[in-house]
Amino acid sequence: MANEVQQFDVVVIGGGPGGYAAALYGAAAGLSVALVERDKVGGTCLHRGCVPAKEFLETAHVRRTIEHSAAFGITAKSVAVDFAVSQARKNEIVDRLYKGLSGLIKGRKITVFEGTARLDADQTVEVLEGTDAGVVAKGKNVILAAGSVPRTLPGFDVDGTIVVTSDEFLDLSVLPATAAVIGGGAIGCEFASMLADMGTKVTILESLPTILTGCDAEVVNVMQRAFKKRGIEVRAGVTVTGHTPKKGSTTILIDGGDDVKVDMVVLSVGRRPRTEALLGEGTNVEINDRGFVVADGYQRTANPNVYAVGDVVANTPQLAHVGFAEAIVAIKTILGEPVVPVDYDRVPWAIYSNPEVAFCGLTEAAAKEKGYEVVVKKDPFGGNSRAQIIGDTEGVVKIVAEKRPDGTAGQILGVHMAGPWVTEQLGAGYFAVNWEATAEEAAALIQPHPSLSETFGETLLALAGRGLHVG
Amino acid sequence: MADVTLPSLGESVTEGIITQWFKKVGDTVARDEPLFEVSTDKVDSEMPSPAAGVLTEILAEEGDTVQTGSRVAVIDENAVGAPVSSAPTTSSETTDALPSPPPAHTAPATLAVEEVAVNGVVVSPVVRRILADGGVEPSTLRGSGPGGSITRRDAERAVANGPTDEIVVALSNGRRRMGQHMTSSFQSTPHGFVAIEIDGAIFDELETLGRSTRDGVAITDEMVVSLAAVRALGEFEFLNATFAGDELVVHRTVNLGFMRVVADDGMLVPVVHAAAGLTLRALARRVSELGERVLSHRLTTDDLMGGTFTIMGPASEHTLWSEPIIIQPEVAVLSIGAVRQVPVVVNVNGTTSIAVGRRLVLALTFDHRVCEPFAATGYLERVGELLAGLDLESEH
Repeated sequence: MANEVQQFDVVVIGGGPGGYAAALYGAAAGLSVALVERDKVGGTCLHRGCVPAKEFLETAHVRRTIEHSAAFGITAKSVAVDFAVSQARKNEIVDRLYKGLSGLIKGRKITVFEGTARLDADQTVEVLEGTDAGVVAKGKNVILAAGSVPRTLPGFDVDGTIVVTSDEFLDLSVLPATAAVIGGGAIGCEFASMLADMGTKVTILESLPTILTGCDAEVVNVMQRAFKKRGIEVRAGVTVTGHTPKKGSTTILIDGGDDVKVDMVVLSVGRRPRTEALLGEGTNVEINDRGFVVADGYQRTANPNVYAVGDVVANTPQLAHVGFAEAIVAIKTILGEPVVPVDYDRVPWAIYSNPEVAFCGLTEAAAKEKGYEVVVKKDPFGGNSRAQIIGDTEGVVKIVAEKRPDGTAGQILGVHMAGPWVTEQLGAGYFAVNWEATAEEAAALIQPHPSLSETFGETLLALAGRGLHVG
Repeated sequence: MADVTLPSLGESVTEGIITQWFKKVGDTVARDEPLFEVSTDKVDSEMPSPAAGVLTEILAEEGDTVQTGSRVAVIDENAVGAPVSSAPTTSSETTDALPSPPPAHTAPATLAVEEVAVNGVVVSPVVRRILADGGVEPSTLRGSGPGGSITRRDAERAVANGPTDEIVVALSNGRRRMGQHMTSSFQSTPHGFVAIEIDGAIFDELETLGRSTRDGVAITDEMVVSLAAVRALGEFEFLNATFAGDELVVHRTVNLGFMRVVADDGMLVPVVHAAAGLTLRALARRVSELGERVLSHRLTTDDLMGGTFTIMGPASEHTLWSEPIIIQPEVAVLSIGAVRQVPVVVNVNGTTSIAVGRRLVLALTFDHRVCEPFAATGYLERVGELLAGLDLESEH
């Protein structure tokens, strides 16, 4: 009986954000859905990525708050960190969310198979390893959402103690005294920020000329200043060649530069798609030379009945919320409903470091590169009353708008923020960019006072020609 | 790699104009999916892709005239779909999930998927307001955003072009072709015209017998009159003729054209070839098949070639007659009016009275170089006689 082919409208491979979103959205539309997951539904995001990382960053925030409480007249005797408790709290939160998600999946009558899946010809999916090994499920359509795994670097074998990736880092129960974060992208900066706030001496090693490549230069400057102030050393434009471990610490070798001796090396050099052994013979699905699945704007692979969503998709941002959006596009396409593809140039980005970074749309440099003449305004959080109240005034809001022939600011092309709670503030900027508002259209809308969001409002007013406070 | 060539477009057609590519270079195309449109002086045809793969090269641009058999595109059967954006936005070896600067815009790749593309969709309230203020109806626009959504720029451009109650409409290929033919025919040929009213009692008989053939094909008034028209041509051969330069070529075979409207795209004249020997049943089937091909856009160039005489049926139940322009190089068009119930004068045993009868108008547009009103009237009268004498029961 084990090999009897089970029929579904949709078989989803992978239970991360892209996969479970597809399953939930498809089931909500009345489709019969099977979901194959090798580990736990929720995927990298819930178990080894976004959620645990942000929980730790919040732990760091709490510590920071206590450290600065004296300024408010509240004196704490001493600040001690028991990171095992922090780790346990993180696990509880993840577990609660996992149970909630599992219940939701069960409630929608989605069939979950446990194991590794391989797609064969004719949309046939075979479960290879795991509890449900041997199960064969055939879908009228199949959605590939196999996700990604951390990349590693040659010369840095991951041992889980001295050399770790995000997978191991998020399971630590003790934090190192010194650490090097290799890779100064979003994840690297979050880890560096969290470690520094928790008392670790951190060095960021980045091979590109700056950290946070892809962010607006203004935002990068804010981050570099903030990191420097907190003792995080940023060494950009360096190439690491390997390391020599010795008794609980290691020395990282840098091509043409001073070596760095640390207790732990955190690799955050990107994520590669988990597509090895995903496809059997005759699927007609195209994998590019970097291992990603090639899909069009409707998430369709070269096989018209096979879709791909999430981190496996070539040339798209590896973000959970992009996976959610792609899942909806894929299901609507399967249902034959009209749907607008994801506009990858205008998805929201959020980095939960201290200060936080959030942005959407074109940077000033990217806009110019695309041939736009631009008008730019920025407003630092220093003058914001709420920022003064919370004691967190570091940061800036910058808005890039298209320049009209008369020199005034037209359509808003990009909104870039660094500072307190900007990940929660981006929403207004996201709407402005995606609704293609001009500065004056967006500036006519009111921000509450006193709030951090007034800095965004002020920048809009200035961009529209006359600011209250900003010139 | 598979070469895409311009296939034969029918006898005596050696070239066509590429009027539209449905795919761009880099787009994925399925076998038999419409790839490009080719226009000849007869018809526009959608050409199916001969292979599945990625369109890697387009060798004939829109507007180019191409000889049949020549290469117009290349399809890579081993490649797959265009990447969603061309810049590598995913992680390089040393950065994580941030975008590399700057990701290319995704719209072109996504527009390839026509069947789910949502044309004219407004995704922004700002854009909706711009269109509303400018009096532009969103459904009239083809957006340039992802999936055909209307961007601010599209909206502003459309508003600058004025409200949609005065839109400039480019003539479709079908209309343009019709216009060229009719202008040239009208200018080159002296058109003559006569009309007569004839008795339509035969249609009472048709009602009694039933309006479908033994094969189950619906019989129209146009078919019945056409049958008589074809048979009358045997006695008026000079009307079943075509001009070749200054010479008139009289045909023994009747290839009967039928004027047919194409929704929003002018008119076509598909031809029932070798119509002379056909019974009503056979003619009905052939006319009906042609009609289906017109509706499904599956007419071939051959269906449109070789006509020797043309029928214009009643456009509505109120049509008295129409005065079509001659389809070149033919010399006459028969217009059939609607069969109407009218009061008629009947004479029974020397007493006249008014009764309910059926009448229809037959009209002939003719080339005055070949024919004159007297002969044309003679032809129409003969059609009327043959119509009245049809043995519907045996031909049914």
